[in-house]
Order: sequence, then structure tokens, then C-alpha cells
Amino acid sequence: MPDRRNPVDPREIALQRAIAQALTRHPITRRNFLHASLLAGTAATLAACGIPAASPTAAPTGTPRLTPGATPTAEPTATAAPSPAGQLSFANWPLYIDADDPTQSPTLQQFEQDTGITVNYTEAIEDNQSFFGTIQPALAAGQDTGWDLMVLTDWLVGKMANLGYLHEIAVASQVPNFLAHAADKYKNPTYDPNNRHSVPWQSGITGIGYNPELVEEEITSLAQLLDPAMAERYSGRIGMFTEMRDTMNLALLYLGIEPASATIEDAERARDALLAQAPHVRDYYGNEYAQGLADGSLAITMAWSGDVFQLQFDNPNLRFVVPDDGGILWVDNMCIPRNAQHPVDATMMMNYVYQPEVAAQIAEYVNYICPVPAAREIILRHADEAESEEDAEYLRAVAESPLVFPTDDMLARLHSYKVLDDQEEQRWNELFGEVVTG
Amino acid sequence: MSRRRWLIPYLFLLPGGLWLLFFFVLPMLAMASVSLQEGSLGAGYQLTFNFGIFPEVLARWSTQFLRSLEYGLIVTLLGLLIGYPMAYTIAFRGGRYKNLLLFLVILPFFTSFIIRVISWKFILADQGFLLGTLKDWGVVEPGFHLIATPVAVISGITYNFLPFVVLPLYVSLEKVDRRVIEAASDLYANRLHAFLRVTLPLTIPGIFAASLLTFIPAVGDYLNAEVLGSRDTTMIGNVVQRLYLANNDYPEAAAISLILMGGILIGILAYARLLRGQELTV
Repeated sequence: MPDRRNPVDPREIALQRAIAQALTRHPITRRNFLHASLLAGTAATLAACGIPAASPTAAPTGTPRLTPGATPTAEPTATAAPSPAGQLSFANWPLYIDADDPTQSPTLQQFEQDTGITVNYTEAIEDNQSFFGTIQPALAAGQDTGWDLMVLTDWLVGKMANLGYLHEIAVASQVPNFLAHAADKYKNPTYDPNNRHSVPWQSGITGIGYNPELVEEEITSLAQLLDPAMAERYSGRIGMFTEMRDTMNLALLYLGIEPASATIEDAERARDALLAQAPHVRDYYGNEYAQGLADGSLAITMAWSGDVFQLQFDNPNLRFVVPDDGGILWVDNMCIPRNAQHPVDATMMMNYVYQPEVAAQIAEYVNYICPVPAAREIILRHADEAESEEDAEYLRAVAESPLVFPTDDMLARLHSYKVLDDQEEQRWNELFGEVVTG
Repeated sequence: MSRRRWLIPYLFLLPGGLWLLFFFVLPMLAMASVSLQEGSLGAGYQLTFNFGIFPEVLARWSTQFLRSLEYGLIVTLLGLLIGYPMAYTIAFRGGRYKNLLLFLVILPFFTSFIIRVISWKFILADQGFLLGTLKDWGVVEPGFHLIATPVAVISGITYNFLPFVVLPLYVSLEKVDRRVIEAASDLYANRLHAFLRVTLPLTIPGIFAASLLTFIPAVGDYLNAEVLGSRDTTMIGNVVQRLYLANNDYPEAAAISLILMGGILIGILAYARLLRGQELTV
């Protein structure tokens, strides 16, 4: 996820409120009831397609099998016994699971019940780079980072995989639900070929958000945001991101350059384009842009799909578009750091959330793009079963929103971030630094 | 036994000395070493004694260095202009409300720094309580805004560091012997003269302390510029924050920090020299 989480941002409060509203629309009891009936079915499935218990490949070195609740010693990954240790340290972004208080998350509670694994879920990640800064010393020293499972954005997954910092997973045997239920777009991604280290958690689109009352025409292209002559009309009411990758890649798309094949010269041209637009930009934002879009101080801004979907509950007029010249699909992935203490438990969680029922349950709260297309039908079914009309309406909005289940036409226009090597990253940072620091 | 008595003062200094060693000297050396390294977070950093980074950094971020200096000076001056009358009133006219007034000065510290800064965002918002009202009255035009301007950033920093101005000034004003002021009026000084020739010079240590306590953190502040400013108000602290946390470019961030520290130190020595001959401790 791009740098979009700021714990004390007013926007966060608005988001909390939005989620609290969603919660009241979905009485917990209904959800628990629903899942209680489901559990009987899924528990059996899980046992079957989850993690193979003690198998012939297990523990050739005579490692004793670990019982749930026991703390295992760190083992080299190659000889890790494929049996769960009973514990899981899970680092995720704030408000990224199906409850604003994670201890109340139905997904985590059911997982604990079904598997006997105690999940220590922490909203520890607010920004990819600074989180990486906290675990990098341990990884470089070949030590355990303290995390078993973490959710990181695609480009960082690619970078860490290249550095050998990620534990390899056997998707076919350990995360079969991923192969069975994930959308094809998420399989074998460029940043992690064959999903050797990661499977998506949620994803989102970086595009344009705008307020139709404050712009003169329908917004369909990046030029309307980035071309100085066009942007001039909305001078002082344009928002851009402080996230280097989002902003630079979007500028490349505006220039008609495919980000994946961009050269340093292309990045310099992107910098020039952004500098030309800069006089009209109100500010470069993290999360706070959403506040500006909501209160009307921004007419047109770079935006993340999930945020605009949330804002639309308060102001249905707000629009999010994937521009004709392209938008960015970013994917937040679950991955396991090298030398993690409980990698098997982590793969069990990966497999667990790829059950369409669980994926639907998370999508109903999180409202980013759900990697499991089958979840849509389930959300619609939940809508039909909903007790109140308000509930049903909300669930239908989730299922039918292209911001949660994008159309093929939208997906076709989406590009991934360029995966940067160290030198490129340094240069891009310098170039972008010139844009955001006047 | 008595021959070892000379050791005792050093023993008392030991805890403080060790504290400084571990939490100041060693981190400083580490930072100096980091600033001379090259590499990346992924591939690791090597010490290459890259002294060229200092002129390079100074040239690249000169605008932000100068802007921080400018904001720091304005904030310190504003702080003294606002804080001196406050401290004076509390010290000389506070009477039995002295303690209450001092408590009110530090009351904002009971909320977190970040909340105080964000509150300013609400106060100065385009349609907020202040500008909204002024716009309704037609005093300012509808497009007028304060957020994302230097005015907002400087206001925010001034507000946040005001207690650091008031408290040392209060201490120093409190210490002024009232009989000296009485003596001045006995010698036909009017109140203005008594203030300018007696009270003010006697409180120079307070002014010096207040300036240091405001100027140093104000120059390095980044939160006010981050929340209340825009790209045109980027301060050097924002650059360090960005380089360190967003780009993981530790050497450049360390080099900037060292330059900032050195610069501030030189500035303060010059300031102390300007006030030479004065007793500078409160």
C-alpha cells in the first residue's frame, strides 16, 4: 500500500467513522451467526486443503513435532517441519482487516478457533520504507525479525525477494486456495514470478478523484490533471501525492511511457512534467488528500480507489476514474520474512483468507480491491440475507462497485509500478525530491 | 582514604557523564560515520570517507537550509515579542494568580504535540472558524487561504514553542530585585526608562535562554511545515524526514543533520559573543 496511513490524520478519524458506520450496518451478531453456520463446512475443507500435517517430507532430521502453543526454536527454512507451531505474528496496515479493533476481527477469531493458532495481529505498518527500515538490520544479519507474516506493497516484495530476504513458499501445496480462487491477474506477477514468496492481501488503484461540482468537464485523461494549460483552471485546488512511486509512475503514463520500460531519461521527463504542473498544485499529500476531496478544497486530485469508495457514502457525487491513458494497480502482498519463527502458521493464514467466504468478509469491511472474484457472489448473497434494507444496500454497493471488483475494461488500463534497482531508486528519489520540496 | 577524596566529585559526575557518552557522544560518532558512507539499504553501506557529501548536500538543499533559518529567526523574535509581555505580566502583576497563570502557560503540553499542530489546521482551515467568519463578513476574499502558506507554518511553530519563551523569561524576571527598579524611579527614570535601562538588561540571561530553547528546535522542526505548509514551505527537517524515512538515504540525512548542528552551534556562539560581558546563566 502506498504511503497512505497516518495514525493521527483527521482523515483516519473519518475513516474510522466510516468503518464504524459499516459496522452498525452489519450487526456483529448477524455476522457471527452467519459464520457459525459456515464454520462447520469450512473447518472440514480447511483440514483437507490447509497445510499438510506431518508428511513424509517432514522432519527428516528428527525435529520433534511441535504442538500448538509451543514456541519452536528458529529452524532453517529448508528443514522446517510443515506443522504449525501454534503462533503467528502478523504485521499489517491500520484498518486493513474486518474490524476497526483487530481483536474483534471475525476472520482472526475464526482462524484461531479453527486452527488453534494464536494470532498476534499488530497494525505495525504505516509506510513500506520505514517498516522495511525497522526489519532490515535483522534480515541483513540473518536473524528473526519477530514477524511471521507481513503485508507489503508489490515493489518492496520484489526488492526484498531479490535481496533474498523472503521465505519461499510452495503455493501449490501450501496455499492451494490461492490457485483455486485468486483472479488470474494476481497469479505469477512480474514483481514475484510464480508467487514464490507472496500472495496478494488486497490491492488498489491509483487514479484520479474529482468533485464534478468543482470541475468544468468530465475527467477522463491524465492531461486534465497534469497538463499545465489545463491544470491552470483548477490552480490551487489540485492535489498530488508525496508517494514517489505513485506520482512518478503516473507522470510517466501521462507522457505515454510504459513505467516498466522507463529509463532514467524518461524519469527526468516525468520530473519536468511534474515541475511544470507544480505551480498549480495545492500540496503533495499522504492520506490527507481525502479530507481535501471531501471538504471541497480539492477539485481534482490523485486518489486511491478505496478511499474514494468510502467517501462516496458521504458524498455520492465524488468520482474516481482510471484515466484513458492509464492508472496504477498496486498490490499489497502477504509474505514471510527470512528466518521467521512460524512460517507454516503464516502459510496457513495465507490459505485461510483465500476461501471466498473469508475474502468476502474482509472485502465487506476493507473496500479495497478483493483478489477473489468469487467473493462478489457471496457479498450479494449476504445482501439478500441481510436483515435490514440499509445493510443490504451497503453490501450491494460493495459488490457492485468497480472500485472493489473492477471491470475488465478498467483492469486493462492498469499498469504496475516499475521495480527499481538501487541506483534507479536513488535517482528517482532525487528527481522526485526536486518536485516536492520547493 | 583522604588521598582519594579528589575522586568524589568525579564519581558524582559519572552517571551524567556516562549518559552523555552513550546517548550523545556515541550516537554523534555513529551519525558522523554514517554520513561518510555510501551504498543503499538493500546492498548495505560502506564507509568510504565521502567528505564530498557535505558541500553537495549544502548546495542541493540550500533553499531549505536558509528557509529554516529564516523561519527560526522569525519564530524566535515573535516568541520574544509575545512571550516577554506575558512573562512580565505574570511576574510583576500575577499576584496570587501567578501559579495558575504559569499552569495555563504549560497547559497545552498536556496534549500531544501532533494534536496541537493539527488543531491549528482546523483553526486556519479555508472555511474554518477564523477564515470562514472573516469570509462571511466580507473582510477577506473567498479564495483567501492561510493553510499551505508560511504564515500558517510560522504561526504553528511560534505557538508550539511559546512556553519555552515564557518560562525562562519568567524565572529571570522573577529574580529581578524590585528595589533596583524603585531606585531607578527614585533617580527620576520614568517607567519606560526604568524598564529599558534596568529591567531589560537584567533579564538578558532569560532572553538568551528563551532564544536558544526556541530557535534550536524551531529550525529543526518538520511537523508544522508538514501539516500546515506546502512544498514552498519545506524546511530542512522535512528533507531529513523524507531522506531518512521515505528514501532510506541515511548518509545524506546524517550529513544534513551534522551541518545543521554545526551551523546552529556557530550561530549560538556568535550570539553569546554578541552578549559578551553579560552573565548568561539564569
